[in-house]
Amino acid sequence: MAITRTEAAAALSDIESTQRRGMTLRGYRVGGPILMMWSLIWATGYLTMGLAPPELWLPVWLGLDVVGVAGALLLARAGKPKAAGAPPGMTWRLLGGSLALMIFALSVFWVMKPADPAAAMAFPGLLIGVIYAVVGFWAAPRYALIGGLMFGLTLVGYFLFQPWLPFWMAAASGALFLSGVWLWRR
Amino acid sequence: MADSDDIIHQPLRLKIMAALSAEKGQPLDFPRLKAITQATDGNLGSHLTTLEKAGYVAIEKDFVGKRPRTQARLTAEGRKAFRAHVDYLRAVVEAADEEGG
Repeated sequence: MAITRTEAAAALSDIESTQRRGMTLRGYRVGGPILMMWSLIWATGYLTMGLAPPELWLPVWLGLDVVGVAGALLLARAGKPKAAGAPPGMTWRLLGGSLALMIFALSVFWVMKPADPAAAMAFPGLLIGVIYAVVGFWAAPRYALIGGLMFGLTLVGYFLFQPWLPFWMAAASGALFLSGVWLWRR
Repeated sequence: MADSDDIIHQPLRLKIMAALSAEKGQPLDFPRLKAITQATDGNLGSHLTTLEKAGYVAIEKDFVGKRPRTQARLTAEGRKAFRAHVDYLRAVVEAADEEGG
């Protein structure tokens, strides 16, 4: 059977979009458990901010971030299909990206010197929210919804529940956990 | 130029082959294959059977705990046929583009 140029081009486009969809769904399956793990880290970090003195906040968060990055690397490796393979250098990309993010967050605090502890507490939620949203718009749409949700919850907490913000943020990490379940079940 | 592979060229079978080809020999379970190809249960089952009869796909059934699981993966013959069909499609596009100037 002879195929016209239009049919051949449409078939090639179908192949590409199917493989892209497969890659996105595989990414959700790997990303879901990572999000669930980060939700626990967030809950621990924000509960520390609510219950412990301020001088403990930075060391606790730095420790939690190291645990989170190491856990994300392990989960990404475990979730990777044996032969399908992730792009080469994924470990370094993850490490580099996480390090850049931590340096950025710390630099913002050093430069802006927020006097209001609530502003410092809201900043990570807004930052993560916007990063997920950008990832969502570029690559995997579900992350846009999750990013929007985290961004929105952070703003609601900041403006409406400021006196209880660390506890609000710890509770909001439940939404992050459920988002991870939502990704993973695909 | 080689011929089109009529078994693969059917739209849903093309998607199944594309999805399995991206797994590089690893199997895909039925629900994930269904999500990737956006097919219905009945459609996916019947086209998988056609591909299995052609020797392009191997179907494996087992149990995870007490739940039955159906997985599909591309055979070596299927991978070769899919690659040849993609080459053919590219050649059709390129030939038409060259003719069109």
